[in-house]
Amino acid sequence: MATCAECKSFFTIPENADDYEQGKGDCVREEKDQKGKYWLSKPVMGGMSADNCSYFTKKLAK
Amino acid sequence: MATRHNPIEYDGKIIEFPYDNPAEEKIPDEEIHQNLARPTTERTKRLKARCRWKHATAGEFVDESVRAGIERMRLITEAHKQSEGKPQVIRRALGLANILNKCTVIVQEDELIIGYHAEHPNYIPMYPELAYMAVQDYLQSPKYAPQPVEEATKINEYWKKYSLQSQCEAYFTPEELFQMYQVSTIEAPEFATGYNSIIPPYETVLEDGVMKRIELAEQNIQGAMEKMAEPYWNATEGLQWISKIDEWKAMIIAGKAVVAWARRHARLCKIIAENFESNPKRKDELLMLADICQRMPAEPATGLRDAMQSKWFTYLICHAIDRYASGYAQKEDKLCWPHYKASIIDKTVQPMTHEDAVELFECERLKISEHGAGKSRGYREIFPGSNDLFIFTLGGLNRDSSDGCNDCTDAILEAARNIRTTEPSIVFRWHPKGREKTKYRVFECIRDGLGYPSIKHDAVNTAQMLYYGRFSKNNNGATPEEAHDWVNVLCMSPGLCGRRKSQKTRTEGGGAIFPAKILEVTLNDGFDWSYANEQLGPHTGDARKFETFEELWEAFRIQYRYACDLGVRSKDVSRYYELRMLQMPFVSLLDDGCMELGMDAMELSEQPNGWKNPITSVVAANSLVAMKKLVFDEKKYTMDQLMTALHCNWEGYEDMRRDFLNAPKWGNDDEYADTIVKRYYEDILAGEMRKITNYSGGPVMPVGQAVGLYMEVGARTGPTPDGRYGGEAADDGGISPYMGTDKKGPTAVLRSVSRVDSTSQKANLLNQRLSVPLMRSKHGFKIWKAYMDTWCDLNIDHVQFNVVSTAEMRAAQKEPEKHQDLIVRVAGFSSRFVDISRYGQETIIARNEQDFGPEDLEFLNVGNLV
Ligand code: SF4
Repeated sequence: MATCAECKSFFTIPENADDYEQGKGDCVREEKDQKGKYWLSKPVMGGMSADNCSYFTKKLAK
Repeated sequence: MATRHNPIEYDGKIIEFPYDNPAEEKIPDEEIHQNLARPTTERTKRLKARCRWKHATAGEFVDESVRAGIERMRLITEAHKQSEGKPQVIRRALGLANILNKCTVIVQEDELIIGYHAEHPNYIPMYPELAYMAVQDYLQSPKYAPQPVEEATKINEYWKKYSLQSQCEAYFTPEELFQMYQVSTIEAPEFATGYNSIIPPYETVLEDGVMKRIELAEQNIQGAMEKMAEPYWNATEGLQWISKIDEWKAMIIAGKAVVAWARRHARLCKIIAENFESNPKRKDELLMLADICQRMPAEPATGLRDAMQSKWFTYLICHAIDRYASGYAQKEDKLCWPHYKASIIDKTVQPMTHEDAVELFECERLKISEHGAGKSRGYREIFPGSNDLFIFTLGGLNRDSSDGCNDCTDAILEAARNIRTTEPSIVFRWHPKGREKTKYRVFECIRDGLGYPSIKHDAVNTAQMLYYGRFSKNNNGATPEEAHDWVNVLCMSPGLCGRRKSQKTRTEGGGAIFPAKILEVTLNDGFDWSYANEQLGPHTGDARKFETFEELWEAFRIQYRYACDLGVRSKDVSRYYELRMLQMPFVSLLDDGCMELGMDAMELSEQPNGWKNPITSVVAANSLVAMKKLVFDEKKYTMDQLMTALHCNWEGYEDMRRDFLNAPKWGNDDEYADTIVKRYYEDILAGEMRKITNYSGGPVMPVGQAVGLYMEVGARTGPTPDGRYGGEAADDGGISPYMGTDKKGPTAVLRSVSRVDSTSQKANLLNQRLSVPLMRSKHGFKIWKAYMDTWCDLNIDHVQFNVVSTAEMRAAQKEPEKHQDLIVRVAGFSSRFVDISRYGQETIIARNEQDFGPEDLEFLNVGNLV
């Protein structure tokens, strides 16, 4: 099972953030339509299954 | 070629009217407005070109991609279910916190002010906890319904039993509810519509920052706990601390959630800069925005960029995320001045140029233009060609009676003129002390046809704040200094702004009442024969048998009073439940009074500000004048004949209709008409309404205006004795002459209007349409300024202008795609002309274009024109 933590869109929330929780991250996606580019950020837990997420792209190994 | 104004013989000379800008002589009349936009920078040019406008026409969004989002309604419902058993104010705070913690946050390219209130920049959020009927509207629309629609429907059903509507309806008879839901004698009640307005205390956010407010609440809780633990427990005092402690706790929950949410934006900016953006300049901007959102609104604002972002976040919470509220009420030049000074003049923090500031204000206008308001179809219909009532206020005097205009005022006005958007509208407080430089900027916006600033009389309205303050229930109404701090709440009515005492809900003031329809039912013993086919008011007798004008007058008085009572009672019953069910702890956190007293902003009302909006007043006024003259004075017709003709919609009675149409009309400095109309405004519209006392302990006063309801309600109003056919539009607002009937020139209108004592009304809208070639001529400013000075000397409350030619409006009707920048003033708001229905467009074209003749120039004491 792929998880959010493995996704390219997942950014771990730093420990000093007000909304920090262990394993929590921001799911950040870039979108584009005829009016231009915009970025959406939504909190997700890294352990969440990514199997049903059509936006999942595996993070490249650093 | 442009049409040049004809020469006028004045003061013994022939005055020519060349264009102020000679290049304009070459632009045809039909095209001038397409040549006036000049965004300050390439950025604002791009932002305007890609703006996600949320305009509506005939209730439909013009941009097909606009739809309702499900995220907010899902999150507020989740929190409501999870917080069962907790004090209601805490539940409200947890609801807001759940939305802010879990919602999508958005940043768009090029933005200098960031933040949106739904999960997609084209979406608008839903508020099932405010009005399930408003959400129902969206659910029923295949185009806009939140998805998945089954889930949204279930959520809406869940809220029905918790709604204000289900609580409040119990206190009205079925007949009364029917009358209110007709929206023909009065507007539907607040408990059913969810339509709201507010003046958020931006001042505390910018001056203190949210963290400081949280500390204050924490200290207050600690103090309360110590008080409760004092020896010799006294329940009569001690138990009062419970609700206060809950309120302060709720404030803390809400405040912390807002700070964390703002910082999620900071994080997003940093992530974009580091992972997505390749342009180094934009990268730097994003990192700058990340820094700002980390500190704003948690900390006090320093420079102008801080202030604009902090203000925007506060706006989103108070008007769009916690609750929907129309408006953009704030004294923007006063709020931003210290930050403008620090950044532009002193250059001590966030240094920038005046032009940078103008760009920032243009960005703000575009943010407002793409802000989605979650109001029902009914409310979208009454703002044709526009988005929502976004209006802020500038100018006037400061607390120490010095001139309130400053370079920041000018930057805001320059931005408005440059970028040309219908929203936000601007109110300018006119005072003789106001500097000429700024008044010229005001003139430029008006001359360019924006329809704003609309002008309010500074001294008249400052005095009104003091008057209302006298009725304060806790003897803490406006002081003489505080009375200077006022803004328009929405289109027309003033209210205090500042750290405390501002209006927080529309149940305090707002909501329409329709005198034209009330006159129609008066003539039919309270029965509405032309629209509802039901009894809409009390039985006041058969008008065919009225023998004197006074009988008619008194019957109208009773019908009007009945509608006022019902309208205000429905507001106060809504307020009763609003303060128990729809508390706003974040707003309370910001208000010094709520913080000090541990009271919610829905409950605490230190400064009464009660009002209702008579709309369609002049149709009723002209009808009374015509009946007095032709039936009771000259006895040319009987009431019986008139009633028969009206019930035939004048068909077969054309000569009679012509007589009634030609009877004296308001706005022509006609002694006969004006004496009756003055009495009508002062004795009935204000006299009866002011006998009512609202929740806050003050009188309720009339705010004459129109929004788009003059068309809507005109369509629901049968034929009237002013010669109008059934269904035709009513007058376009407040104290404005009926379209096309002010035939004696602009100064005759001023003389008529000045006969009504401005202080007897809370506000009264005056629409005027001025000649384009005159306003754009080299004498335009001088003549307009003389007009404004006279208007001010006559103590008239308000005036606003359309400066757009019939030629250009007709051209736009033919080729709308070429006239996207043509803006017109409809009522208390401006609209994109091509987005207004044909019916509405015709009502603008039908307004009389006022020109100034030699006698007007003399009356205005214009002086030497060379
Ligand atoms: S929700 Fe989808 S896109 Fe977002 S992090 Fe998880 S898998 Fe990736």
